[in-house]
Amino acid sequence: MRVIVWILALIIPLMALGDDLGMSPSIQEVKKQHEPRFFNLPNVVSVGIGLDPNGNQAIIVGLDRPNPETESKLPASVEGYPVVVKIVGAIKAQ
Amino acid sequence: MADEFNQIRGTLSTNRQQLLKRLNVVATGIGYKQTDGTKTSTVCIVCSVKKKVKAEQLSAQDLVPTAVAGMPTDVVETGVIRAFQAPTGRFRPAPGGVSIGHVAITAGTLGCWVNKNGRKVILSNNHVLANSNDAEIGDAILQPGPFDGGSFPQDHLANLTQFVPISFEEEPSECSFANAVISIFNLGCKVINSNTRYRVAKVQAADNLVDAAIATPLNAADVQDEILNIGPLQGTAQGELGMAIKKSGRTTGFTTGEIQQIDVTADVQYGGGRIARFTDQLLAGAMSQGGDSGSAVLNDNNRLVGLLFAGSDTTTIINRIEHVFSALGVSL
Repeated sequence: MRVIVWILALIIPLMALGDDLGMSPSIQEVKKQHEPRFFNLPNVVSVGIGLDPNGNQAIIVGLDRPNPETESKLPASVEGYPVVVKIVGAIKAQ
Repeated sequence: MADEFNQIRGTLSTNRQQLLKRLNVVATGIGYKQTDGTKTSTVCIVCSVKKKVKAEQLSAQDLVPTAVAGMPTDVVETGVIRAFQAPTGRFRPAPGGVSIGHVAITAGTLGCWVNKNGRKVILSNNHVLANSNDAEIGDAILQPGPFDGGSFPQDHLANLTQFVPISFEEEPSECSFANAVISIFNLGCKVINSNTRYRVAKVQAADNLVDAAIATPLNAADVQDEILNIGPLQGTAQGELGMAIKKSGRTTGFTTGEIQQIDVTADVQYGGGRIARFTDQLLAGAMSQGGDSGSAVLNDNNRLVGLLFAGSDTTTIINRIEHVFSALGVSL
């Protein structure tokens, strides 16, 4: 029993340390985390993962029409991943 | 050269009938003779056949002679020649890519045929086969859809079997009991001078993965297990960023595109001001319009990757086929 406690006492702080140093989060994780606040901005209708003009993986935020205020509130990048704004138009069931 | 053509035209016009009578011959014309797959400079009478058959297997009267009145002939396999039919027409048997719809809607697209408990059923969208949740199991499905002239019972192809309900965004509740309870809470808030007020809302809408439904044909002979202008499916595949895709749909027919975004969350407008949020979607450029909903989306190898259901002037939104299959319990 005591051994297990000692092992846990060693492992748990190491795991926390691993998280802190951690590999940088994947674009999927970063997108998922920031998506709700993007959707709270007016005219945002989609958030996906695509490529920026340089061919790098990017978070693509789709607006149904141009909105300078929303565009100014969106960051150029989050946690190292570029954020690209695209006017996609209103998305309707076809 | 002109003389040569005039001469061969004359020969063809006097011999056309007897050539068309021969087994498998579906067309006659004038062209350059092909030898071992390469075009030669010899002008000849070309007989197009449904199927090339070895000379030994044909009777003398079915065999196309090597020359007719001194003019050489060539035999080319073209398969059966069919009239091009618009996807808005009536098809029996019915392939994927044609007009279809629940009796109460306009028209959408029959995606493809899939297996449910060993039976072939039609795969399309909920908003095509089940009128955006507003349908009963067993409702009639028409081919073509009502907008394209389909009517009951003449064009009754199938019955709605199953649909995945679409969860629309939160709207104010009309439940009178809940409203009564809430007014008591709010009265309490006033009494204690709190600025908090409660509001009744339906349970927060769940995110959607698919807009999908299936329908069972009345008659197994009406199943044509392929897609108009594409052919049979060759299995399924996972959609990936940059993948080239194609579809055959009721409104824009055969179109191609590329997956530009994955892991897409999108707010989609349905009629009557209703909005539904979809997650883990595929997004492509413009390759569809109203009426193309329900189209099967394929990759270059004719593997099924998705079910088209929404779009704007510049984008197309597609459900991942793996989500569609697991939600409905179907397979190819």
